Amino acid sequence: MVLRRDDWLDLARKVDWTPRYVDERELFPEEISGRPWLTHDAWRDWNEAYRTTYREYVANQRDKDAAVLGVRAALSKPRLFDDLDPGWVQLVKFHNGAVALAEYAGAVAELRMARFGRDSAWRTMATLGALDEIRHTQIPLLIGHDLLAHDGNFDWTHKAFHTNQWLILAARHLFDDMFLAADAIDLAIQLNFVFETGFTNLQFMAMAAMADRAHHHLFEKTVASIQTDEARHAQIGHPVLRTLLENGSRERAQYLIDKMWWRCWRLFLALSGTAMEYLAPLSARTRSFKEFMTEWVTEQFMKNLAEFDLEKPWFWDLFIEELDYAHHSLQLGLYTYRTTLWFDVAMPDRAERAWLNEKYPRWEETYAALWEQLELRWEAGGEAGTLSYGLPALCNLCQLPAVFIRPGRNTACTLEMGGRRYLFCSEPCRWIFQQESSRFADHHTVVDRIVAGQAPGKLTDLHRWMGLEAPVETGKDLRRGLDPWRLDPVPTA
Amino acid sequence: MRVYLFGFASDDFLGRVIVTPDQRTVAQLADQLVAWGPAPERGGPVTVRNEAGDILDPAATIKAAGLGNGDIFKVERR
Repeated sequence: MVLRRDDWLDLARKVDWTPRYVDERELFPEEISGRPWLTHDAWRDWNEAYRTTYREYVANQRDKDAAVLGVRAALSKPRLFDDLDPGWVQLVKFHNGAVALAEYAGAVAELRMARFGRDSAWRTMATLGALDEIRHTQIPLLIGHDLLAHDGNFDWTHKAFHTNQWLILAARHLFDDMFLAADAIDLAIQLNFVFETGFTNLQFMAMAAMADRAHHHLFEKTVASIQTDEARHAQIGHPVLRTLLENGSRERAQYLIDKMWWRCWRLFLALSGTAMEYLAPLSARTRSFKEFMTEWVTEQFMKNLAEFDLEKPWFWDLFIEELDYAHHSLQLGLYTYRTTLWFDVAMPDRAERAWLNEKYPRWEETYAALWEQLELRWEAGGEAGTLSYGLPALCNLCQLPAVFIRPGRNTACTLEMGGRRYLFCSEPCRWIFQQESSRFADHHTVVDRIVAGQAPGKLTDLHRWMGLEAPVETGKDLRRGLDPWRLDPVPTA
Repeated sequence: MRVYLFGFASDDFLGRVIVTPDQRTVAQLADQLVAWGPAPERGGPVTVRNEAGDILDPAATIKAAGLGNGDIFKVERR
């Protein structure tokens, strides 16, 4: 008689043993397994909702891969770009560059927990999580490779994380902090509980909904498929957090959550906020970034905090205020520094401005004059007049330009430490830096490096230093100045 | 001595790095920041403040105004 699943599952998952040749502390050193260091008794009841077996995992993943590859085969390669909006193509290029190898780093993180997680059920889930993340790397690499024949900049799907491009450095700084330089416990809270449970819904499910409306069914299928994996291995975070709270580490848990919430917010406003509202075609926009954030991220996060009787982060009011402005401010930065990016950037047209003002009632009064100024400069002096040539002030924590919150209300601040003055875009970035200053103090932003002569100050050399071959690879105005609402069209053949 | 400062103009969306000799005046510093911004051609009076919010004397040198490497200054355009 075949055993029922629940009759044998714990026997396969719960395989912890008593070490005989080393003690438990040597087997799971605090430096990499995490603190507080607790004996295995504290972790014995570790469990999560999915309880996936390896057999189930393989069967499910095979079906998911077959679905993605089926759509890829149906949309034969020459037709991959058919009917895609030009802005949407840039969105995919942006997404692929920022996400593909971050997922690979995620595999390293899961493998760390697969070795140093404190309970065997945790280690089992993390092993499956590592396989997930390898899959999440392979799929965008495959799709990106398919698109190379149509647009050479899709090689940034693989290349981006091997460059010094400033936006990628910002992403790497976060991912190093979140998981590559984190122990197993911090990793479970930061990556699984905050990043994956809190935020990836936005990048994957919201983007899938938009991809459907943008008629990019392969992208839709891909990101939706990835999110089903994320939803499963994200469950690692809950039991780790519960164990911390039951063992006197409430303050530590609250800190990790606050810190990572803020850092993830910075990344997502830069990646998802700008892409959703300036690259996605109007016809694909189901809801605003703020509406997605409110429903899919904020409300869900509040439920998670309530489940554990944790507090809202201390900077919550600032975060709520930023929801109306921060990604719009950064978009101006992306647009005026577009030659330092690997994708093209859009100036919103009349219809898009009306939509933005409908979703953000203060958009017009805050941003319209700045965009109009750029239009006038284009008209008076050509495209060069719409580019920034001076150096932007970059935050020493998030590495993003100090554009927040909005024109006329800038929250930048400084900190003097060890004979060096550090700049931050906001109080939360400064606060995080202060909590773990030894972790962050030696890092230099791109601008710090230029000022110190460690990176080229000349723009053409700087492009090369960032991995961008100008002018072929460098970002451009999405519509090449051809929009009738802006200027007389450039004559064409 | 040349110093690098972080300037924020009230009509701009971005903090900008300004590298300048510290013997220049605060008024010249403000002009330099405004020149990088979105509307350099628009004249009008400005008020310059340090990070703490103190108003800086436009005739004072950058050094005398207490600004050094890595400091923030804010230019309010009216």
